[in-house]
Amino acid sequence: MISVATKPMPYVGIAAAVGVAALLPWFAPNQFYVHLATIGCINLMLVLGLAIIARAGQLSMGHGGFALVGGYVSALLSMKGWPPLLTLFIAGLVAAVIAAGLGWIILRLRGVYFVLVAFAFSQIAVLLALDMSSVTGGANGLVGVPPISIFGYVLRAKPQFYPFALVCALTTLLLTWLLYRSPLGTMMAATAENQRLTESSGIDTHRVQVIAFTIGSGIAGFAGALSTHYLRFISPDSYTFWESVSYLTMLVVGGRDGVLGPVVGVLVLTPLPELLRSTEGLQHIIYGAVLVLCLMFVPNGLASLVQTWRSRQRVARTSAALVAEEVP
Amino acid sequence: MSMEIILVQTIVNGLMVGMIYVLMAIGFTMVFGIMRIVNFAHGEFYMAGAFLFAILYGSNNLPFFISVLLAVGATALLGLLMERIVFRKFRGNELNGMIASVGVALILQNSALLLWGSSARTVPPVISGVLSVGGIVFPWSRLVVIIGAIVAVVSLNLLIGHTRIGRAMRAVAQDAEIAQVQGIRVDVIFPVAFVLGVSLAAFAGVLMAPVLSVSPFIGLAPTLKAFVIVVIGGLGSVPGAVAGGLLIGLIESFAGTFVSASLSEILQFLVVIAVVLLRPQGLLGRKEREA
Repeated sequence: MISVATKPMPYVGIAAAVGVAALLPWFAPNQFYVHLATIGCINLMLVLGLAIIARAGQLSMGHGGFALVGGYVSALLSMKGWPPLLTLFIAGLVAAVIAAGLGWIILRLRGVYFVLVAFAFSQIAVLLALDMSSVTGGANGLVGVPPISIFGYVLRAKPQFYPFALVCALTTLLLTWLLYRSPLGTMMAATAENQRLTESSGIDTHRVQVIAFTIGSGIAGFAGALSTHYLRFISPDSYTFWESVSYLTMLVVGGRDGVLGPVVGVLVLTPLPELLRSTEGLQHIIYGAVLVLCLMFVPNGLASLVQTWRSRQRVARTSAALVAEEVP
Repeated sequence: MSMEIILVQTIVNGLMVGMIYVLMAIGFTMVFGIMRIVNFAHGEFYMAGAFLFAILYGSNNLPFFISVLLAVGATALLGLLMERIVFRKFRGNELNGMIASVGVALILQNSALLLWGSSARTVPPVISGVLSVGGIVFPWSRLVVIIGAIVAVVSLNLLIGHTRIGRAMRAVAQDAEIAQVQGIRVDVIFPVAFVLGVSLAAFAGVLMAPVLSVSPFIGLAPTLKAFVIVVIGGLGSVPGAVAGGLLIGLIESFAGTFVSASLSEILQFLVVIAVVLLRPQGLLGRKEREA
């Protein structure tokens, strides 16, 4: 009896977590918690997009640039009278197309070059937003972006918007999980593990990385648009280099493998700036320190601690079972 | 003003900005070439150098040369400290090293904000007056930047090309393990290279402080420029950094004078894409052998 019976534990845990998240507006002490949870949902989507790119062995320092593009596309189209529910997807699509073009060119290079060019791209996106003021409103940004409405039901207030953001985030989470389990997901992981070996087994690793970059950046575009319709506002300052850095921090602190890492990272780091607000000015320093310390002492992220603990338990249980068998 | 004068002044401006970028890019590319770390915090050392100089020379009226020495020296110490505490642990680990450097950049920038506030400071000019050659005037304040940067680049080149430690650094850049087998103390070379790179950034900051204003946020822009330049010139290549820096400086100055500043940024990005497409190893870079 070595085989450990499949436990219903994870499913119960997941169901409980989703339940708590869904019921939050009813027991949250005030609206601010709902706001924070909504931001958390949007962050989760952005970090998952980044995680998909990282799954294929690349790191995008320009993630905010794609969110910015998505935000502006959706804001401009919906202000022209297009339904926001549609423009959200167009925003994701536009970001994905740009990523595909850019990725096809720059992903032939070694990782470091890719990071540098993706970073430069996000800076260009900010500059363009500032410069094309006749379209984008320049530094003032766009005010009065229409709210999302679903079959006439307008998501204007926080408690109404939150369930929609939660559904979007959970759908992204589920799709990411399915992607990781698909053959494409395996190819992505193999590419990250050893690009040359993967290439030699007949997989076009360049294509795999371009696809991962396209999907990840498309999600960023969608999430950027979602946030724009929630806050009803976008400006060149909405997604700067430091936003890209904060998503990266969430990914690194949470963990880069699997879908649990991004969830943990977002849960830990989204409320952190609020908790540190009283420290005024110190908050960014603490943020930087958390990033560096995590890289030093938990390089695989907080989620890896859970995995280590679990596998240790499994080993303990298995050996206990073995001992029990040997004793007559 | 005649066209000629505008043209010459645009070139002088371009060379000045370009030489600053060269100083930034050389330090950046050296740290990458030797430690294999993409240092996102590089510009924060530029900021630290500029700030310390502004305080020593501008606010406390110390003599110029002493201010320069103290500002660069203190920043170099800061760099040594960061290498000891953080960067040493990530040597050769490109991805994690890069992320850690972002954390260091956050810490340094916000410490400056906490210590010195967010308002911009101006530094009195080091030198005034103009040099006039054949009816065309060159402000000395800008020529000093160009001359200072050239002196720094030439001395670095002598150091790398003609001294024992320079030869050791080149060996480590080529192959750290083989260098160690040959008896080079790699553990000494890493901090030396890092501190040298940081000092160049600090010196660039010192030179620019009297020309531009100084604030905790000035570090990011030159970091971005250093990235663009090393991609154009070839990551790890010092001559590439010089060529790329001057090219970007001139593009910026010409596009800024004749068209618009943001067009110049977009133009630079297109140059990067073109280089990546046509010559991925950079203009003067060597093809890297994959391990």
